[in-house]
Amino acid sequence: MRRRQRPRSAQAPAATIPSDNVAEPGPARPVSRPPAALTVVGFVALGLLALPVVGLVQRAPWSSLPTLLSESDVLDALRVSLVVSLFAAGACVVLGLPLALVLARCRLRFGGVARAVVMLPMVLPPVVAGTALLFALGRRGLVGQWLDSWFGVSLPFTTAGAVVAAAFVALPFFVVTVEAALRQAGDDLDEAAATLGAGAWGTLLHVTLPTIRPALAAGTALAWARAVGEFGATLTFAGNFPGRTRTLPLETYLALERNPEAAVAISLVLMTVALAVLVTLRDRWMPR
Amino acid sequence: MLISACSGGPDRHAGNGRDEVVVMAASSLADVTEIVFEGRDGVTPVIAGSSTLVAQLAAGADADVLITANSATMEQAASERSVHGEPVLIAVNTLVLATPAGNPGGVTGLTDLARGDLLIGLCATEVPCGELAHQALGEAGIAPAPDTLELNVRALASKLSLGELDAGLVYATDAKMLGLATVDAPELSDHFNGYYIASVAAEPPPHVRAVIADFTKLGSVGAKALYAYGFLGSDRRPVWPVPT
Repeated sequence: MRRRQRPRSAQAPAATIPSDNVAEPGPARPVSRPPAALTVVGFVALGLLALPVVGLVQRAPWSSLPTLLSESDVLDALRVSLVVSLFAAGACVVLGLPLALVLARCRLRFGGVARAVVMLPMVLPPVVAGTALLFALGRRGLVGQWLDSWFGVSLPFTTAGAVVAAAFVALPFFVVTVEAALRQAGDDLDEAAATLGAGAWGTLLHVTLPTIRPALAAGTALAWARAVGEFGATLTFAGNFPGRTRTLPLETYLALERNPEAAVAISLVLMTVALAVLVTLRDRWMPR
Repeated sequence: MLISACSGGPDRHAGNGRDEVVVMAASSLADVTEIVFEGRDGVTPVIAGSSTLVAQLAAGADADVLITANSATMEQAASERSVHGEPVLIAVNTLVLATPAGNPGGVTGLTDLARGDLLIGLCATEVPCGELAHQALGEAGIAPAPDTLELNVRALASKLSLGELDAGLVYATDAKMLGLATVDAPELSDHFNGYYIASVAAEPPPHVRAVIADFTKLGSVGAKALYAYGFLGSDRRPVWPVPT
């Protein structure tokens, strides 16, 4: 608003011009503020993201919350959700870090295609992802039929299947984050370490990984968050059975059918857990 | 038309002064209505879930005929005076014991749903097909050992058709649509959803009556289409109201 005075400042003394708007940079000038209009839009966007949360909170049945949440169904679903999401996040780190290193550091002939394949689970509707997993790893699937006949392993309708589904949709979030950080960090430090006699493992553990530590944390958090909220792929690939594959999002969906208040309560738990983890991670690993 | 439009009366739907017939039909009848109204001019089908249709009618939606996929929704429409006259049962959709084509699990009857060595799927009791299955199994005294409780009947039927499950309880129409094998289970014959048709107006004009007759008359185009999609005839049960 203050900036609008400027075009009329012909007669006005120079002192009325806001100090943060003058050409010469003063010492107290704030660091690169975005244009006012964009700041407004930014806050509108934040509101857009926060509004549904507020909607949920204002409908929360606070007084009956303890009763609703101590139901054994909900506790079972919470346990399944924690187990599934933590294992999925772990799988993302174990599989995603090597993949990110390959994408960032190896000159791949089909790098573009490989990156597109990595992004695919982000774009696919989760139900399609789940169906694709059935075709690949199901009992009659491409690879699944061999798993079944050689090892007697059948993933669908098991907790392990729910982990696979969650890891599948969450993996891109880890890989994309970590690969970007690896590219940004460059490999100068790695080369320097190698020149000084560090081996491939030593360079990785003592130079590369510490450099991208914030990205590792951010990628893990993103992947974990995506795994916690997973619904469609889990339902399609792993089914829905209490204590085995019924995660909190599935429990919420069913609760909507029989008791919407319980659904709100469960959603609240889901959001609180997620917010707590994300805020803690951010403060601890991603300062600023 | 003009006469009935001018006659007024308490029923706002009576004679709306147009020749078009708007038929509201439950989602599961989408394919059936397409066949029935193919080549019939002046019929507009509106397809949605039964409860949605009933809510729309209550809110004043302009329609002439309502077809619901169960008795509860039709009862509600009647109690809200959205439809008039006696609703007619036009078809029933029964639960069937379905397996993948070829029945790889060697399922022989409903009691096999309790076998732990098979992968069994049922609908969750929160959705209609699961409620129906729960009732049927309860009455038959069978404690099933499901590996998944699917959130809708189509998802369950498609997992059966992919061979990822060995047996499950789905609607006859879904089994037929996906080419599933079915195993005889007499215990299920008393468990079905009834499809009901009713007129919105108390005294529907002839062209609306003709559309209703397309479904209610024996051997009508509607009856044939319903049969083709796996629905069973209304003669299996007494018409409205169904004892529950």
